[in-house]
Amino acid sequence: MRRMIYLAVILFLIITTAYAEESDQDETTFNDFTLNIGDRIDIGDYRAELIEIQSLKDGLAVMRISRVGGALDEQRALLQNSANDFDGGADGDGITLTVTDILDDQSAKVRVEYKENLGTARKRTSERPVSSDVPLLSVQKSFDKNQINVGDEVKVTVTVKNTGTGQATNIGAEDLPPLPEFTYVAGYPPKIKESLNPGESDSAVYVMNAVKEGSIRVPAIQVSYTDSKKNLKSNNSEPFNVLINPKSKADLILILKPSGPIRVDGTGLLNISLSNQGSASATRVEVEGEIKPPEGLEATGLDRSYFEIPPGMEENYSAQLSGKGAGNYTVTLEASFQGGDGAVIREGTTEVVVLEREYKYLYLLLVIPIIIIVVWMYRRYREYKY
Amino acid sequence: MLNVLMLGVGQCGNRILDAINKEAFGGGGTSKLTKYYLRPKFPSRVETLAVNTAINDLKELRFTTAKDRLHVPNLHGVGANRNVGKQAFMDNRDTIMGEIEKRGDFDLAFVITSTSGGTGSSFSPLLINELKRQYRNITVITVAVLPFREEGSIYLQNAAFSMRELMDVEADGIILADNQYMKRFSGDIASAYDKINGMIAQRLLFLIESLDSEMLSVTDLGDFKTVMNGGLRIGTLGFYQADRKNPSVRDAIENSIKPGNLLYPANVTDDAARAMIIVQGSREYLDTDEITKEVEKLSACAGHVFKGIVVKKGHPKVLSVFALASAPELESIYAQAARAMQDEKEKRTRARKQLDDAFAHIEDLEEIY
Repeated sequence: MRRMIYLAVILFLIITTAYAEESDQDETTFNDFTLNIGDRIDIGDYRAELIEIQSLKDGLAVMRISRVGGALDEQRALLQNSANDFDGGADGDGITLTVTDILDDQSAKVRVEYKENLGTARKRTSERPVSSDVPLLSVQKSFDKNQINVGDEVKVTVTVKNTGTGQATNIGAEDLPPLPEFTYVAGYPPKIKESLNPGESDSAVYVMNAVKEGSIRVPAIQVSYTDSKKNLKSNNSEPFNVLINPKSKADLILILKPSGPIRVDGTGLLNISLSNQGSASATRVEVEGEIKPPEGLEATGLDRSYFEIPPGMEENYSAQLSGKGAGNYTVTLEASFQGGDGAVIREGTTEVVVLEREYKYLYLLLVIPIIIIVVWMYRRYREYKY
Repeated sequence: MLNVLMLGVGQCGNRILDAINKEAFGGGGTSKLTKYYLRPKFPSRVETLAVNTAINDLKELRFTTAKDRLHVPNLHGVGANRNVGKQAFMDNRDTIMGEIEKRGDFDLAFVITSTSGGTGSSFSPLLINELKRQYRNITVITVAVLPFREEGSIYLQNAAFSMRELMDVEADGIILADNQYMKRFSGDIASAYDKINGMIAQRLLFLIESLDSEMLSVTDLGDFKTVMNGGLRIGTLGFYQADRKNPSVRDAIENSIKPGNLLYPANVTDDAARAMIIVQGSREYLDTDEITKEVEKLSACAGHVFKGIVVKKGHPKVLSVFALASAPELESIYAQAARAMQDEKEKRTRARKQLDDAFAHIEDLEEIY
């Protein structure tokens, strides 16, 4: 009996081991390879060759997959990070290829997934020379101003440079305008040379006018071209954001500060401050003063002229006030200027009080006689008090 | 300018002196507050001094300055006792005379006193003697006020003895004022006193002003002294002020010597020994002929009459000063005083006898306990 048990255990172990070996041969595995154009991966009967980097920007790489015996021979553009099955893929009896990263226009990282029973994947480096006539256009789109206000003209410069090794032909630029924040003034659409040799660049300028404030995203300009193999390629500039500020205006603030109440026949100062708190220069500034009521308070030096008050700057001056009659007076200053949006008028007002002539010790006229009378009467009282 | 000393001695003298000071402030309508804003205006250099042994009498004065009030310390007055008064004067003579001396030298002094009170009647004769001794050329006139007759026997007795002493001293004359006579001017005693005091004050100041004024017709202190030395050396004052209805100076002179306008009851035509008539008024009222005629008329009965005319704005005012050759009213007072003293003596004898009779009941008895 004991022999029978031992025999059964040994038999069980042999069966489970054989099954485990069979299961290991069906296991899916993968390998990552960095391929230059022309390099290939061999897995069993399968060959996968990197033909070209079709679009660095869009993540497209063209690979050719073939099988010994001619059962499979396919050239396919693989989208980056998108698995592509061949002959049923790795889950079937075939292989699965994924472009995990496009390093530049000559190389990419490729993952190959397969059943282990296909053998081990190996990289075969191409013995062909690397193609030396691959054009690569870089595109830039830029504004000449960082700060844009409504009404400003903006120069947009589009620059295309062939940084590749081959001639780019059939170059076409497609620029989407950021309407309605801008209107085109001149030069649109931008025109780029139809072909650019390696190292050559071309640029086009057009002018726009900012018409509406707000934050906008300037769309990229797309350049399409073909290489010597007539492969159609394209590249984009980077989109960017710009802020269009409200229209630039000058804004003069008039501040009038009298030195204090003035007495009749006294003098005082009226300190006047003109500060440009706008974003544009105030030009041809004319300041004129008016006093109401006109009688009783005289002012000299109220009126002034300034050619320009730049934004953020301040002009200060003082006017001499002299009181002629008691009362409350309103001094109004009117500043007219050109402030970026035609003629502008700003007003500043203050109250100036002219006090009655103060007889400071007038009360003594009453108090002193009373004191004298009281003292006199007290002395008399003492004189007669017995 | 005359240097005049006015001494008010005793309660009556004090009050008349206060009336003189009030008159110097403007007279009858003067408010009590006047002294607080005005200075008294005397016609000459007049110094006043109120002397009294009763401090309360001094306190009631209203128009006399404190420095012109001299209290002679003797408890609270002398109680109408002239002997006590004389002793008090002698005890305080130096103080009193020192106060007078402080006020300088004088040409004329009026000693104003009641003859009936304690302090005035006892101080005045002694004070006059002291003044005469201390100031060689001074003319001292006593203004003596006779009492109401019904005030009591002691006052009558004091009046009698005081008048005799005043006659004996070396005063240059006595001007009499009789309260009893002037009582008719007012209904009640209090207002009578005020009226009498005011009348005396007004006449004395008029007299001083006249003696010290530039006159159209001159009378001076010497004339006044001569008048007062006439007759009994007792005189009195008459006064009259004409008004708008009758500004006649002749009528004013006649009215001034009528008994009703004198301080003491006298018949000028019969009793006057010498006289002085002082007329004051605006020039248009002062008819010299009329004045002279009136003075001549008076001279016919009064002997010598001095005439003084002072030109001063206003209706005529006339002051008449008389020295009397006879004073029948004085005799009447002395008779009343004698009777009162006799009655007092008899009452005292009767009372003593009644008391002795009462004591006789227990003469032989001993106290038993």
